[in-house]
Order: sequence, then C-alpha cells, then structure tokens
Amino acid sequence: MGELSELQRDALGELFNLGVGRAARSLSQMVQDEILLSAPAIDLVRANEVIKTLLGTEFKELSLVTMDFEGPFASKAILLFPERNALLIVSNLLAPDLTPEEVSEFEQEAMCEIGNVILNACMSALADEFGVEFRGGLPEHYFSDSQALQLFVSDDQRMVLLLRIHLSMDQQRIHGQLILLLSIDSFQALCTQLDAYLARLSVG
Amino acid sequence: MDLELARQVLDHLRVGLILLDWEGRVISWNDWMHRHSSLELPAVKGQRLTEIFPEIQDDRLGWGIEEALRYRLSSVLAPALNPTPLPLYRKPIDRARNERMQQLIYVTPIHHSNCACLIQIYDLTAPRRRERRLRAQSSRLMRVSYQDPLTGVGNRRRFDQDLSQLFRQAKEGGRPLALLMIDVDHFKSYNDYFGHPAGDSCLIQVAHALQEDLRREGDRLARYGGEEFAVLLPDTDPKDACAIAERLRLAVARLALPHPPAPTGWVTVSIGVAAMIPDPNTLDYLLVAQADLALYSAKEAGRNRCFRYDPGSSRAAPCPAG
Repeated sequence: MGELSELQRDALGELFNLGVGRAARSLSQMVQDEILLSAPAIDLVRANEVIKTLLGTEFKELSLVTMDFEGPFASKAILLFPERNALLIVSNLLAPDLTPEEVSEFEQEAMCEIGNVILNACMSALADEFGVEFRGGLPEHYFSDSQALQLFVSDDQRMVLLLRIHLSMDQQRIHGQLILLLSIDSFQALCTQLDAYLARLSVG
Repeated sequence: MDLELARQVLDHLRVGLILLDWEGRVISWNDWMHRHSSLELPAVKGQRLTEIFPEIQDDRLGWGIEEALRYRLSSVLAPALNPTPLPLYRKPIDRARNERMQQLIYVTPIHHSNCACLIQIYDLTAPRRRERRLRAQSSRLMRVSYQDPLTGVGNRRRFDQDLSQLFRQAKEGGRPLALLMIDVDHFKSYNDYFGHPAGDSCLIQVAHALQEDLRREGDRLARYGGEEFAVLLPDTDPKDACAIAERLRLAVARLALPHPPAPTGWVTVSIGVAAMIPDPNTLDYLLVAQADLALYSAKEAGRNRCFRYDPGSSRAAPCPAG
C-alpha cells in the first residue's frame, strides 16, 4: 500500500505531461508568447513530509494556488512556485514594470488564473484518458508561508503526488511543483483508475 | 425563498449573472447583464453565449465555458490577463467611447437537470484604476527612496542593496566585482571656507562628473555618506578598476573647482580600489573593508591619488600608471 509501480509512475508522468502540454498552449495563446511547460519527474510522499522534503529554505518566498477536485478520487491540487523568479516571470507576463512584491499583492487573481489553467488542463487530461469526470472548485491563492503551512497538518497521513514542473519563457526557466494531496482511499482509487487505463492500453 | 423574491434579489445584485444549460445556451441573465450589455433577456434566451458574443469563441472565456460544460471544471478570468472579455460597458457614454468595463469572471459548473453553468461577472474598473494609481505612486516612492536627494545619485540604501545583489551574482558566476571608494579631499575645510551651500554645490558637481564618466550600463554610483561616494563595477578586474578610478580622479580634477585651503588649490578626490572574485564563504563587506583600506592609504600617501588593495600582501599600493 502507498506505492506506485514503475508502470503506474510512467503512466502518470505521461498523463501529466499531456496536461501541462495543453496548459502551455493555453497560456501561450493568452499571453501571446511562447511558454513551454514540462513535468519531468514524479514522486510519492506522505503529506507530513512535504514541508521537509520539498519546501525547505525556499519556503519563505512562494506563491501557491490550490483547487479542490472531486470525482472517482478527491484531491486538493496545489501549484507552487517556491522561487522569487516565479513571481518575476509572472510579472513579465502581466506588467514588466512591477516588482515581484507588487505582483503578489496586486495580482492574486492573475496568479489564481495561471494556476487554474495549469491545474484544469492536468485534470481534464486525466478525465479524458480515464474516461471519468471531475468536479473542480475555484482556485485560491496563498502567498505567505504561514497561510500555506495550514494546508498541511503535522500528523497528516494523506498521500502526496509531487510533480516537478518546469516553465520556460523568454529564455528564463523556472521550477515549480504540482502537488496532489490524496487521502489513502483516494490514492487507491487513483491506482485503480491507472490500472484500468493501463489495461485498456495493453488491450488496444 | 419564493421564486419572485429570488428573481428580485438576483436583479438587484451588483454582479452579472448568466445561467447556461447543458448545451451552453442562455437560460437566464439578471438585470445587471441587461444594463451593461444593452441586451434584454428575451433577446438572448436560448442562444449560445458564443452566438451572442462571437469574439469569445476562441478566447479564454470560451474555453472556460467549455471546461465547465464538458469537464465540470471551474475557471477564473483575471482582469490582468483578460481585461475585457465581454463587450460590457459601465455607462452608455462608455459604450460611445468604446471603453469596456474591466471584468473579473468566475465560471463554475452547476449540478442541476436544466442548468449546467453559472457565470459571475464583477466590475473591476474602479479597483483597477485605483491599483494603477497606487502602483504609479509606489514606483515613484520606490525611486525616491533609493535616491540621494542632494546629488540625485543612488543613496546608501541603494548601495547596500546593489552590493549584496552584485556580490551574489559575482559569486554565482565566478566573475570579478570591483568597488571604488571615493572621498573628496579636504572637504571640511572647503565647507569652512565657502560655507555649506557651496559645499553642497561642490558635491553635486563631483557626483555629476563621476556619473558622466561612468559609461557602462551596469556600473553603479552611490553617495556612501558625507563627502564619500562608492562605485560598484561588475565584471571588472583590478587592472580595469584602476584605470576607471584614475579616469574618475582626472574627471573631478578637470572640473577645476577652486579650493584655496587645499595644498593643490583645487577640489580633488582620493580613491581606494578593491576587486575580487568572491568565493562561496566570503562576505560582501570584506570588499568594502578592502576598498576602505586602500582609500585610507591613498589619503595617507598625500591624497589626490588612487590606491588599490593587494590581496597578496594584504596591503594597499598605488594603482599602476597606465
């Protein structure tokens, strides 16, 4: 329990790359500039390890967008950009004359929308490939560590899928994380979906 | 709540509401929508939103609706990324001027047999205008807070920030960073002789002469304090830093500002030079301490000259001529 087979991991990786590919096309069209997105690595950890393993010292400067999804499995999806560079890129998209601090203060809805586009694209790719339906709530944006910390409780036993996300535009490249928080039950439901998907693939 | 009351409440909301059926056709929209689109509900009922507003077809709003109908996913459209997705106007005069309302739009799926999607539209025109004004103000304040009010060059805050940023970049890139500490010679006696207003004017002219002579984009001049200036030179080795220091010294001398109490009779400067490729453990004020030591040595040696810190001997020596 609480493991992903090599095959499941590869399949998930491919599905999310499909999703971020869609997101990149949407974002590029929105800002009329080429944006590339890739999700090269996927990891599975416990929620209470997230803060330790992932956030570390970069945790002070981050911007994150969360959305709740319900369907065959329920999940809180979080898109997190831990670096100041992330805000810099967003400020490139929005208003080049703004400092990153101003961006996070003034442009929470825009941060929400960028996260919204990326997360919806990933979930709709999953929905298409699994042949299922998710109901997605509206995105919320957090940009201070204390607010964000409340997303993870200390004895949290939920499973977390961690996807590293690379976003490049204008020769700049930034790294973010896509986090899928899943209860044990939801994680198992996801594995069931994955197995069914893999079975269909091998039959077809 | 009975239907009539619900209808009245929805019509009084100061937010646009559109309800779509499973085919994306308008079931209802409230009075706010009527007021700002100039389209009455009976005229649009049963039509797809993309028929009423063809421009949203291949637009973010069009996709958002598609995602809500097909995937049951929600979307937000922020005014910073999509300022005016729908042709809505706050007042008739804005329509005549073609000034659209700035909109924040939420698209959410609804789980009901007849209704599949709710669109909410908020008028953000006034808040966006306020934000723009605040931003302009904050940019102006930011600029002022980093400027020395007397000479117009960077102030100490600017210097401290530039130093830590450029030092970090030099560390990361393994590139040299040079610092010049520049002190106006015998400035106290200049002030005593001519008075403080003339002293101020002297500092302004020196600052301008230094600024004029710094031609490279990344070079940063700041007033360090009193009659001391500091220049940060990214990507500059000790030899080039000395050459630039010497050029700056001559630029001030060329101003030919009389200074009767000074031994030379003119306003001159002494300059201390330090340059290094910082290793990971070096702190940035080591560079300041080295340039300070070189400046002190230049003054000891008679002023109106450039000295540079030599890491080999941990002492300062005259900048090589040339």
